[in-house]
Amino acid sequence: MTAISNNNIARAIYLAAKDKNQAEQYPIFSKVVQFLVRRRLLAKAPDILLLLDKIINNDEGRVTAKVSSAEKLDHKTKLHIEQSLQKRYSAKKIILNEIINAKLLGGFKVEIGDEVIDLTIKNKIGKLQEHLLGDETAK
Amino acid sequence: MSLAVSSPEKAMKANHIVENLKKEIENFRSQVKVEKVGQVLEVFDGIAKISGLSDIKSSEMVTFSNGETGVVLNLEEDTVGAIILGDFSKIKEGDEVKATGKILEVAVSNSILGRVVNAIGVPIDGKGAIKADKSYPIEKVAPGVVTRLSVSEPVATGIKVIDSIIPIGRGQRELIIGDRQTGKTALVVDSILNQKGQNMVCVYVSIGQKDSKLRKIEARLEEGGAMDYTVIVKASASEAAALSYIAPYTGVAIAEYFMDQKKDVLIIYDDLSKHAIAYREISLLLRRPPGREAYPGDVFYLHSRLLERACRRSEKYGGGSITALPIIETQAGDVTAYIPTNVISITDGQIFLETDLFYKGIRPAVNVGLSVSRVGSGAQIKAMKKVAGTLKLDLAQFRELEAFAQFGSDLDDATKSQLERGKRAVEVLKQLQYAPVRTEHQVVTLYALTKGFMDDVPVEKIKEFEQGLTEYSERQAKVFYKEIMEKKMWSDKGEEELKKVITDFKTSRATLGASS
Repeated sequence: MTAISNNNIARAIYLAAKDKNQAEQYPIFSKVVQFLVRRRLLAKAPDILLLLDKIINNDEGRVTAKVSSAEKLDHKTKLHIEQSLQKRYSAKKIILNEIINAKLLGGFKVEIGDEVIDLTIKNKIGKLQEHLLGDETAK
Repeated sequence: MSLAVSSPEKAMKANHIVENLKKEIENFRSQVKVEKVGQVLEVFDGIAKISGLSDIKSSEMVTFSNGETGVVLNLEEDTVGAIILGDFSKIKEGDEVKATGKILEVAVSNSILGRVVNAIGVPIDGKGAIKADKSYPIEKVAPGVVTRLSVSEPVATGIKVIDSIIPIGRGQRELIIGDRQTGKTALVVDSILNQKGQNMVCVYVSIGQKDSKLRKIEARLEEGGAMDYTVIVKASASEAAALSYIAPYTGVAIAEYFMDQKKDVLIIYDDLSKHAIAYREISLLLRRPPGREAYPGDVFYLHSRLLERACRRSEKYGGGSITALPIIETQAGDVTAYIPTNVISITDGQIFLETDLFYKGIRPAVNVGLSVSRVGSGAQIKAMKKVAGTLKLDLAQFRELEAFAQFGSDLDDATKSQLERGKRAVEVLKQLQYAPVRTEHQVVTLYALTKGFMDDVPVEKIKEFEQGLTEYSERQAKVFYKEIMEKKMWSDKGEEELKKVITDFKTSRATLGASS
């Protein structure tokens, strides 16, 4: 028998509970918990919830982006980031999770899923180092 | 502590460096691009499980945050499994992994000749960096049937038993198989040594061998002047299994670079049993299901796709050739094990080395009965074909008679002479290590043997006779030698001359023997 993946479970939950009101959803969720207990998959619940979150966001056109920067970004920059991301991912809504990391030195880094747009000074210095060292070894 | 520059010269030099740096920094433009990034979930025994990297392809190269590279082998639903090519002890859980969008490549150039490189083509002989000319992908689809020519040119190995009975052609794949300590590596090292002046580039891929052994081989090749046309690709026993797995593909990529320059290349995989073991280790760690002898299901494809890249290409499609000599080590002479049978079926013949023969003093310990070359006879030069035509049959009959003769002493004259001829043939085919013999000399010796000129020479004097004859004939039989070198076959005139020279040599030996 093929093993059921977390993704399969998350998708099944989403499809079962989609377009239903809270009262209708309650028995579904209780059945999901029963299923997880029966199949001894309760330990995987956090991963499944994470995937479920991803599926819902994807379906509703919501994109969560992690924005790391050395200092707090001003409103104008944030708006600009949101707009360009909205265009790139053809998303209805962009949710920005801001993280301040002084080690980035300057600029900002946007992470969406496994895609990264790195515009930090730290990255640029790293690339410059690569460029200079790379030339050195070729000589 | 003082760091002050002591002299104006030094100050000038420092200024120059600063100027150069400034220029480099001004020229530097960083491009903004979207990168695919994953995270290391777990690392163990040279394997990394990585999350993310959603669009990654199989065999794609990834870079870890500490600069090491990896190759993706397993694509699973949420994770990917990659092998780490290098030191995995510094990779931690949660480290960033970047996809490169490229499959693994090796930097190649003509200056790689004479160098020792590791499994990813980085020089490790301390002679400095190799200035790359091009990058060649290590995995490539083998040339198609339209682009190929049949094997018709010989590879002169300088080993009498091979060149005469089991000839190898350019573009052929000939397996060398035998137990440990039967002289498999010695055979290929001799073949490399003999390629001097034969317009051949050699690539020696060492997989899972001891460093001390490789050092010895390198020293021997250097001594024989063979490193000028040889590249050594090394993945030693102390390195990770991933490197042993990659090494033969790197070797063949280097070979392809030279083939694309219309050159003939000889590539040696020493040995593929250890390659299969390394791949088994990786596969089991990646949790791929084990099959026979715990090897994964695709172990046949592992070797077939590698050996298919050996070929002789037609001029129209670029010319050049790659001749492959894979080596397989058997356990207690068992050729029916999984890997030996696989590789036997892939290659165009095998040279079977036996422990018994080795300890009997028959070296190279080639079992002529079990060894075959399926396409090589087409590549043999005419003269060699003529002298070696009956040799294999003679030897086979000799082995049969030898066993039979042990039971009785009354043998008829024909049988006796056959036995005597056989003994001399075995003696002639013996050869010392690192002493390859030129084709012309082989032809002369085998001519003398098959035409019965050696029948009255005592068996223990055969070696001495052979040496004397080759030296004497080279001085005296000029026409015969010229014909062999230029036309690859003798004429009646040449043959007459050689016959006379051999008779003269025998007479002079007899008079010398009588006087002493």
